[in-house]
Amino acid sequence: MATTTARVSISSPDLMPGSALSITANTALTKAGVVTGLTQMETGVRSIVTGTEYRLGPLATEMASDAHDIASYLYLCNTTTEDTTYYIDWGIHETMIGKLYAGDWMFIPWNASDDAAEIEIEPQGGTNTIEYAFFNSDFILTTAA
Amino acid sequence: MATINASVTINSDISSYPTSISKTMTMTKSANPSVGLDETTGLRTKKFTTTTAAVIVEHDELTDDKAHKVYIRNASTQRANFFYVAYNASAAAAGTAETIGKLYGGDWMLMPYDGNVNITVASSTASETQYLEYMVFADGIVAAKG
Repeated sequence: MATTTARVSISSPDLMPGSALSITANTALTKAGVVTGLTQMETGVRSIVTGTEYRLGPLATEMASDAHDIASYLYLCNTTTEDTTYYIDWGIHETMIGKLYAGDWMFIPWNASDDAAEIEIEPQGGTNTIEYAFFNSDFILTTAA
Repeated sequence: MATINASVTINSDISSYPTSISKTMTMTKSANPSVGLDETTGLRTKKFTTTTAAVIVEHDELTDDKAHKVYIRNASTQRANFFYVAYNASAAAAGTAETIGKLYGGDWMLMPYDGNVNITVASSTASETQYLEYMVFADGIVAAKG
């Protein structure tokens, strides 16, 4: 059984004067509702041109038939360094949720309830470069034409 | 100006060559990416005993269209239970178009958030108590309305 762990540390000596902030959390990524580890992953690095919305990762129907509405995880980092005003709008389907600035990363669970719950990204400011990793147990390959 | 650093480490042996991701970011403002975020709504812990959806981040407390960051952790230990997490005005549920994902017991998430719509959650169970920890690192907080 594969083991995938994700750890976060958030710290600040001066956000709350008199009370230094230190948050640490660990989790082992498993299949939905059980302790069995995830078995599939998909990683990549892409340079993406500004002004276009892109789908990142699979559609729900590109995951095993009835198993898509479960436990998937996305790590996404904007590795752009040329200009710190560059960012990527990210969201679910047509709804943008936040801005991933140059150098920033994010880590979220994603349940991909249907094909209208895909992850979308739209670069702003110029060509952005991203690196990403999906962790899942239900990706399927597209049937060849 | 405050300094807030966030680091992620992901290790996996799913593939035959080990995956190891390690990245650190400093949370900065949208208008000036060289200036650190310096506001927060504070670290909160909330107990959930029903499946009723609840707003955990009210967008009207935050400046719209900014570089906020939201940290959320399901502090429960049961992997069988989870919270739906959604970017939605009033509810979080499986069928909500803006549902982001399911945060299982022990899972955490950290995401950029524009502050334009509420963040809502719903527990998957009413038979077991679940706890949620969350914190907003804000790029602008609107003064409380009287």
